[in-house]
Amino acid sequence: MAKRIVLDLDLCCGCRSCEAACRAAFKGEARIRHADLSGIAYLPLACKHCKEPLCVASCPVDAIKKDEESGLVIRSSFVCIGCKSCVFACPFGAIDAPLVRHVSQKCNLCRDREDGPRCVAACSSGALQFLSDDEIKQHEIGMRMVSKDAFFRRKA
Amino acid sequence: MKTIDPLYTAVNRVLCPFCSFGCEFGIVFNDFGIKGVEYIKEGNSEGRLCPRGSGAAFYLNHPRRLTMPLKNGKAVDWSKMVKELKKVVGRPKDAAITFDRNLTIEEYNLLVSFCREVGIENIASTYLEPERFLRGFFKEPFSTEEINNAKMIVVVGDLFNQTPMISKTLINWKLSNRRNRLIVIDSINTHTAVFANDFVKTKVGAEPILLLEFAQENSETVDISEFSSISKKKALEMSRSFKETESGIIIACLPFAHTYDSHLLTEALSRFSSFSGKKVVPFVEYMGFDGNQHFGSVMSSIKKRKIKYLINFGEIFPFYYPQIVKGLKGLNLYSTSTLKYDGYTAIPAALNLEKEGSIMTTFGRRNLTGNIKPASGAKTVAEIINSIQETSADERSLQAPAVKIDVKERIEKVVDKCRAARKKKNYLLIGEKIAFSFLGLFEKEMIRINPHDAKELGIKPNDRVSIKSKQGEVELRAKLTDDVGRGITSVPAEIPEVKGLFDFEIVNDIISFTPTEVEIWRKG
Repeated sequence: MAKRIVLDLDLCCGCRSCEAACRAAFKGEARIRHADLSGIAYLPLACKHCKEPLCVASCPVDAIKKDEESGLVIRSSFVCIGCKSCVFACPFGAIDAPLVRHVSQKCNLCRDREDGPRCVAACSSGALQFLSDDEIKQHEIGMRMVSKDAFFRRKA
Repeated sequence: MKTIDPLYTAVNRVLCPFCSFGCEFGIVFNDFGIKGVEYIKEGNSEGRLCPRGSGAAFYLNHPRRLTMPLKNGKAVDWSKMVKELKKVVGRPKDAAITFDRNLTIEEYNLLVSFCREVGIENIASTYLEPERFLRGFFKEPFSTEEINNAKMIVVVGDLFNQTPMISKTLINWKLSNRRNRLIVIDSINTHTAVFANDFVKTKVGAEPILLLEFAQENSETVDISEFSSISKKKALEMSRSFKETESGIIIACLPFAHTYDSHLLTEALSRFSSFSGKKVVPFVEYMGFDGNQHFGSVMSSIKKRKIKYLINFGEIFPFYYPQIVKGLKGLNLYSTSTLKYDGYTAIPAALNLEKEGSIMTTFGRRNLTGNIKPASGAKTVAEIINSIQETSADERSLQAPAVKIDVKERIEKVVDKCRAARKKKNYLLIGEKIAFSFLGLFEKEMIRINPHDAKELGIKPNDRVSIKSKQGEVELRAKLTDDVGRGITSVPAEIPEVKGLFDFEIVNDIISFTPTEVEIWRKG
């Protein structure tokens, strides 16, 4: 896998620029979702492009496939029947299935953009980063806050 | 950027005019028009963009974009509209001109010259924010290095909502040294507050009381623990530490949707700044211009029927202030607008994004590129003025009368309001500017209610809720969160209908929106 989107929880300020950028690029349907731990932290949820993706295994019509070369997990909207199997299978809750078009929304790391995903480019605080596996190992992501509770920033 | 055919796709670089940060980005064009935005890794924001910037393409291509002048809801020819405007300026004693942020510096100069030439004496800014007063804090442009060099920072308001682009600098500053201390003052729990070492929660609109306590200027009768989450002793410790720290900044975040006594807050900020010897850096929507009087005095003249015609060059009034317009009977209102609105004669106008010229940002004067042509049928303010009368701009500005406020009297008013709200069962409505909720483009607006209050009212998450104030009634979906305290409800006041709910008062010719008592109930 070349690169993946990584969240540095220490930096995320909850502005939702990532989601807005994704919505703006994909006709109002965001592929990145969010969880709001009220008053504590904010978690943008992007597809992790897993090595052994459960969404691929769960898809009854093979609409989702893993590209072994690029490592991307890609969904074809032409084949998708909107059954939501992938939505339930995804352990990270990163797939959404809006009822408007009856197909699931799936991050493709903005393959149409050479400089990487738009959510990473837009991120106002630099919390979302587009890194390779080696860079992730070197990076102290989320390690600067020393806290007993990983999500509780204020006492850090 | 990867393109199918470079001949048919272009990225035009622009300067974002939606707040005073001045981010740079690209607008992507293809055969069918504007396709979206592109993130260019340059400028103050290093290519990063807040939801408003990302939504710029939506805004330019808005389905309600006005393309012809509208009178009583019907399209009118541009030449007829110009004739009508010429008639209005032919009666300068009966006419007034107002304007807001949708002007470049050059257009403002042109407007001032135009008013002098045609003899219109009533000129005012409709931008009710205190940035006109806050400009005094901006004697020299701000630099993010000032944050990096600070040891202690006091933030008033939700900075990460108002100007998300500063978040990277501020969070990295806080994480760079454990001794760096961030104090956040707000009446609700915000995303900025999450990062604070000390989050001081105040009663709604009571931020000036706390700042005056920090400046050690409160009267002894005011017990700060009644209006905030800290004791007098703690306030004294914070105040002393800030004064003694070698480098500190006070960041004032003053959003468009404010519901506090803006002038009292500005005065309290000045006094805290003088006491501590530290600089105030305001993060605002736009570095506005002055008229020769305040908007409140123009409104009074309209009520007294001294002014019968009002030409507004801007998009805020009357779009965002429906409650003020309701009281202006017999007024012939002509207003430039980007979106369709039937309540007045609407003249299609270009956005600052579509103009050439310059605007003031937090980092100084910046040039607009003029890379995008105005939308079909829309004209720039300069074009509209020149079509009424050929005018050449002078570098002359206007000065509105100085405002003197009686701090003691205004503080008493805030104190009374805080105490009265506690006795009543009604809820206090406060407005928030939520960057993500930009004109409702990305998400439906929601009212935020404390879960305990919601339980008492029988409201569940996502229920439809009616909110009724003296000014009107609006229906929103409910979001239950502990971020807002009991007895408080918060709404995204960037939505015009929602902004129309707020009470307002005119003191010293200045209009202020105030925390408003509302009734809330579950719909259906």
